[in-house]
Amino acid sequence: MSLSCILRRTSSFLSSPLLLAIFFIPIAQAEYVPAKTDSVSGSTHRITLRAAPLPSGQFGYQMVSHKIQTAGGQTEDVTARYSDKPTIPGPAIVMTEGDVAEITLENGIPNTDQPVSLHVHGVHFDIRSDGTMKMLNGVADEAAFPGKPYTYKWTAAPGTAGTWPYHDHTFGNPMLGAEDKGLFGTLIVNPRSGKVPALINGKIEDVNVGDIKREFVLWMHETTFWGMEVNNILKGKQVPLWTNPTVGARLGEKVRFHVIGLGTAFHTFHLHGHRWLNPGTTHVVDTVNIGPISRDTFVVQAGEGVGTGDWHFHCHVIQHMQAGMMGDFKVVK
Amino acid sequence: MNKFRKLTTAIAVSLGTMSLTPIVSAETASSEDDVILSVPGVMPVGALEMTDEPGRWFKDPTDGDSLVVVKPGDAVLIKMTDVNAEHTITSLLWQPGAAKFPVDQDKPSSASVTQTFDKPGLYVFTCKVHPYMFGAVVVDDPNTEGLDLGSEIQLVTGAKVPTTSDIAKKLLRTFFVATTPSLWRDYSKPNWDLKLPSIPLNLGGTVISLDALNVSMPNKLSNPATPGVGEVWVNAQFETIKGKSKPGSATQVDAANWTIKKKVKGVDINMNNPHNMWTDRSYKYIYQTEWFDKRLVTFDRETGQIYGALTVGQSPSHVMSRPSDDSLTVALNGEDRVLKLTGGKHPTAQDSVNTGPNSGPHGHHVTHDGKYALTPNALAGSVSIVDLDSGQASTVPNVGVIPIAIWGDATDKAYVANLLGTPPLLSTLSVIDIKSKQKIKDINLAADYDPISGKTTGEAYGLLPIQTPISPDGKYVVTANTLSATITITDTSTHKVLKSLPCEPGCHGVNFGMKKGGGYYAYVASKFANDLIVVDMDKLEIAGRVMLADVKDADIVGNNGMGGQGVLPLPVADHGWIEQTAKLSGSGQLSAEVESWLGALTTAQRGIELSGKMVQSEGKH
Repeated sequence: MSLSCILRRTSSFLSSPLLLAIFFIPIAQAEYVPAKTDSVSGSTHRITLRAAPLPSGQFGYQMVSHKIQTAGGQTEDVTARYSDKPTIPGPAIVMTEGDVAEITLENGIPNTDQPVSLHVHGVHFDIRSDGTMKMLNGVADEAAFPGKPYTYKWTAAPGTAGTWPYHDHTFGNPMLGAEDKGLFGTLIVNPRSGKVPALINGKIEDVNVGDIKREFVLWMHETTFWGMEVNNILKGKQVPLWTNPTVGARLGEKVRFHVIGLGTAFHTFHLHGHRWLNPGTTHVVDTVNIGPISRDTFVVQAGEGVGTGDWHFHCHVIQHMQAGMMGDFKVVK
Repeated sequence: MNKFRKLTTAIAVSLGTMSLTPIVSAETASSEDDVILSVPGVMPVGALEMTDEPGRWFKDPTDGDSLVVVKPGDAVLIKMTDVNAEHTITSLLWQPGAAKFPVDQDKPSSASVTQTFDKPGLYVFTCKVHPYMFGAVVVDDPNTEGLDLGSEIQLVTGAKVPTTSDIAKKLLRTFFVATTPSLWRDYSKPNWDLKLPSIPLNLGGTVISLDALNVSMPNKLSNPATPGVGEVWVNAQFETIKGKSKPGSATQVDAANWTIKKKVKGVDINMNNPHNMWTDRSYKYIYQTEWFDKRLVTFDRETGQIYGALTVGQSPSHVMSRPSDDSLTVALNGEDRVLKLTGGKHPTAQDSVNTGPNSGPHGHHVTHDGKYALTPNALAGSVSIVDLDSGQASTVPNVGVIPIAIWGDATDKAYVANLLGTPPLLSTLSVIDIKSKQKIKDINLAADYDPISGKTTGEAYGLLPIQTPISPDGKYVVTANTLSATITITDTSTHKVLKSLPCEPGCHGVNFGMKKGGGYYAYVASKFANDLIVVDMDKLEIAGRVMLADVKDADIVGNNGMGGQGVLPLPVADHGWIEQTAKLSGSGQLSAEVESWLGALTTAQRGIELSGKMVQSEGKH
């Protein structure tokens, strides 16, 4: 049988009702149905974000509005937690397993017809909340155009606890987006149990998330740390820390670091004087590999066993150190 | 006027950023002072994004130009955004005494810099691998009149010059020309009018207007009276072309009638910043480096068909063959190696020779006997003499600042152009003895120029020298000087600069071709103009200026004919190579066209006279 003959036969087979019956119908029946646990009752976050330029010509996400409706129906407006300007990294959105978020993105970038989007990692969403263009997802242009916001729905289903990046996936280039220009931010999903394992006083124990005083978000982009503090003493107040900052805590406070990579470079994040658990293991480390969009989240007790001081943190790739990729963890009494 | 608006916009943005400074608000500071213990780092108020785009190598994302104006204490983020190769971010000039200066990255990488500026004045950044990528930051004190450039600038060479000096003004004019394609010299127009806006500049108390740097001169093209033999290939590296995002073409000029035969644009491969070319003995293939990329492109000389783009390494700068076997050598400017490849239609990497740590070899030269590759190590300030058979490299240290191009003659001497001179000399050619592996002397190319007044008192007037070949008869070194826009001709027997001829802004590439009836032409290409200058090496005068723009080609969307860098005249005039091609004459391996070129050459041009000498010199090795 010639090749063209095979092709003809195959194509006629493909269009036959038999094939539809054999393949498509069973597939439709086997379609993935989200598990009921996905909609476990939690809070609903109604968020409006805006992508906007910074004075430098970089871009950043800015929190416009964040309201949390609890399962009991009460609504709290937490917009005041955030900076009222676009920041790099963007606002740190904190959820708990079981929560859902409806996020409306506005395109606040002037003099452009380029769409801007929100593509999140880790949590659940259906294909319409992928934050990509139709050329990639086959369904829709899931992005905010000037004057035309786009709404995404995320579900922090059980099993999604952790720290995740969100970033643009469309601006300027549908394959890349403009994360490289500052359109990235952090999603922190706390476990429903309210506990995270940590190395405290040399022993592995479960720490109450409520006992974590400060969250230090550190993005590693090329040769720069871009930082943000979420201060839980001040009810989640967010402090933009910009480039290669000093993060500060009091001796003995439980603080959580969220270190995330971005761009093309590979890094080794090292914090002086402190050790922590490699997540999911009992392995104790003081340096972790961070590649683009990979991350590490860990709790330390500030100054544990070593006391107060300006504890240096930096990328341990020599060339990156030379370029100034460093900051301090200032532990005071 | 456009520039003026942009500059003033930049100033306004800079002044308006006070409220955006990322300090915790006053209210927060009082009530939360003891709770927030973190100290924010710097928030850059401006950015320069490095790109492969002609002129916009350090691009301000807010307005697309290469200048950011900030206030004292502000920071600027400099990062690599749209580049295919690794670069360095390096201070070319800065304010003396400024904190945290100079900025320098040892090695090419993709690393960004967030730099704070404390002292008002002018700061210019460049890349050590591609030293005409320019970006500037002006730190302007809002309380002074005009835009503050400072009273002095500190150059990377160690020299400190007043901003009122001629050299400082030349650097400033060159900065604006290099970074603004609309200011490039376009020979399709009757005049070159370099018009800068009337912005007051404060030079440490002396206020001048930026438009004092304006230039206006007529554009006159003329064909040389005597035709050349063969053709001349010029890399119009900055031409922007429909269908591809990266710039550049190889432009083929017919030396018989000085018309453009074709342009090889590489749309399918998105050919990126083609910089320099070489060929094989039969002139079938053209090999071409993509200097802002990683590839060596091979195409057919006659048809322009591209055979391949081989990834060879970071920022391949120059390519040259060994005359004896057509094998290729490629200098990897963004690395520390010379790559050896097979020749032919599909070159394959064979081996590489290390030129030393952080060396960054640029415009290398293979000696006529094919024994050595000489490399000017732009990043290390040295020269390597690479034995191509043994793979051993010897280094001549402390040659100059950014040695960028070298050329060896048939008597074991080589001349290397130091882009930023040999301190304290501003502009030099160093003479290297290949046998003893030593620098013999520095020739001061700017001996007759006063950098303060700008007065010239003789012919030695060449600033920022680039390509510097030796004429095939061994008599002269012809050097393209980019800052002075001059072509200097140096006598190899006396080491004196005999002539300084007017070139173009961004004067860059030189190579020799055959003049009909005997003798040689030096062909000179310039980055920021679209003519090819023809210098008659018998008269040491300019014989003509030939157009490199093809104004009828609708696929060229910008910078038509601009970006002249690598020049490859065929037949290759260099001894060592011409003899190998002449040997093939009558063998059937040469095209009828190439045979006709060889037929038009004199005995001397074919290298017969020199071959006796070459045998002797080879015997001595």
